[in-house]
Amino acid sequence: MRTQLTVTAAMTGPAGSPGPRAVMVTGLRKSYGAVQAVCGTSFTVERGEIFALLGPNGAGKTTTLEILEGFRTRDAGVVEVLGLDPGDRSHGRALRERIGLVLQDIAVEPYLTVRETIARNAGYYPAPRDVDEVTGLTGLAGLERQKVRSLSGGQKRRLDLALGLIGGPELLFLDEPTTGFDPNARLDAWEIVRNLRGEGTTILLTTHYMEEAQALADRVAVISGGRIVAEGTPATIGGRDTARARIGFALPVGYTAADLPADAVPANGLVTVETAEPTRTLHELTGWALRHGTELDRLTVDRPSLEEIYLRLTGHDRHGHPTEGNP
Amino acid sequence: MGFARQAPRRDFALLWHQIRYEQLSFWRNPQSAFFTFLFPVVIITIFGALFRGASGSSYFYGLSALQYYVPTIAATSVLGACYSQLAIVLSMRRQNGILKRVRATPLPAWTYFLGLLAHCIMVSAVDVALITGIGAAFGTPLPTHWPAIAAALVLGAASFCALGVAVASLIRNSEAAPPVVQLILFPLVFLSGSYMPIHSGVLNRITGALPVRPFNLALMGPFAQRSGFDWKDLGVLLAWGAAGTLIAVRRFRWDPRPE
Repeated sequence: MRTQLTVTAAMTGPAGSPGPRAVMVTGLRKSYGAVQAVCGTSFTVERGEIFALLGPNGAGKTTTLEILEGFRTRDAGVVEVLGLDPGDRSHGRALRERIGLVLQDIAVEPYLTVRETIARNAGYYPAPRDVDEVTGLTGLAGLERQKVRSLSGGQKRRLDLALGLIGGPELLFLDEPTTGFDPNARLDAWEIVRNLRGEGTTILLTTHYMEEAQALADRVAVISGGRIVAEGTPATIGGRDTARARIGFALPVGYTAADLPADAVPANGLVTVETAEPTRTLHELTGWALRHGTELDRLTVDRPSLEEIYLRLTGHDRHGHPTEGNP
Repeated sequence: MGFARQAPRRDFALLWHQIRYEQLSFWRNPQSAFFTFLFPVVIITIFGALFRGASGSSYFYGLSALQYYVPTIAATSVLGACYSQLAIVLSMRRQNGILKRVRATPLPAWTYFLGLLAHCIMVSAVDVALITGIGAAFGTPLPTHWPAIAAALVLGAASFCALGVAVASLIRNSEAAPPVVQLILFPLVFLSGSYMPIHSGVLNRITGALPVRPFNLALMGPFAQRSGFDWKDLGVLLAWGAAGTLIAVRRFRWDPRPE
């Protein structure tokens, strides 16, 4: 069955590619009444990568994900998941056997134990993973005999993840997998996700945490107002790699910004110089300081952080205040 | 090819797997096990203590009181185990996301519902056996036409399961489920003669077209050793089951949030 599906899908996939992409979305649209939740979104997820849909709450992340998962219908656009259309109920079961879903606001039967819950779902798949292997992988080892109702919030999220993994999915959807986690639990969850990619699982996750996208994703798409406003690697997204560098330092006592050999803007008791040629500008500034026998205290050179890029792309200035429209 | 030939066997194994876990969830939940079994058992025990040794009377259509009550209380217990239980459990499972979690797996919808149906029929059979046994302990003669009882039990359980799923499909909010379920059931059970015989021809004609009275009658015939298969009443039950199934198929939602 699986071989057959792959062959069919490969024939419809792009010519010369080894197989269909994990996910292909073109011109996706979805409205709820007058509200446009997703307006013409397009992106692709390659096999074996971790792809993050990064955006604020209400940006259309979950709607997009739920359309890919087959939970919601779309108004327009082409969507393929492992070469199949998730909106077509006739491959619902075949597709569900190959994907894993970790959803938000989800519960399982409270009176079963952790092991029973995982074993029950394992029975739904043609070639499930081993229950003990999955409890080990998700940090549930030792809790197998506990009733689900007695688990903590974080343990329940691990169980969700275990249920997403038990079928041995080729593609795993994670909807805000670490929302509400403490920092340690988040690091653990990231480690699990990286290990899964190491095993060859493709992962599509949504998040509103910049650090999460930066720490995990091979590629990031920033979604805002139902549109993809930027796409790239965490290092290059939004022109982050080519953006002007910022040199910041404390103005030496007895001098004003006008005395400096470059245009400087005062900010937070420091001055900031933005430059497209950081090497040259830094050389000029340090040369000036040496000539005047003074020190540039608290000297830093940096580029806009992913957070600044994200805020700018989603229509906010550096301090988180909304700006007029998107850049 | 090999897959296609194995598919029916795998589907059957999957159904059995689902029934087992449905049973496990049910027996682990003290509330559902308690209300499904305790309430009908208490009622029939009270009636048994009140009416033991009473002979046939015209008030009970020539039957003894317990010959009348064993089948009607058995029917009421099936209503509880199938209709009430499913309507409430499914609304709650939808509200807290359990149904969506099921939908996220490859488990086919028909397997999920057949698993519930099989579970409800088993629970109903245990209920009916308990009530029959308590009736016998108070001196009520055991029925002899078991095939007719089995037919009424299975068809009744299936129809009331379908109606329970239909009600769960029409209720959006899980908190509204228990009152709505009781509001429909309670008057219907009373007017259908489950707790006292109704001697109004008009009322009996009306309730005869609704699902509860036909189920009472379909069980009462074989229980009182008067008749076997009660085709007319089984037909009415089947029609209600079909109507419930139609609503359930068209309106059932897995997701707590409407599209």
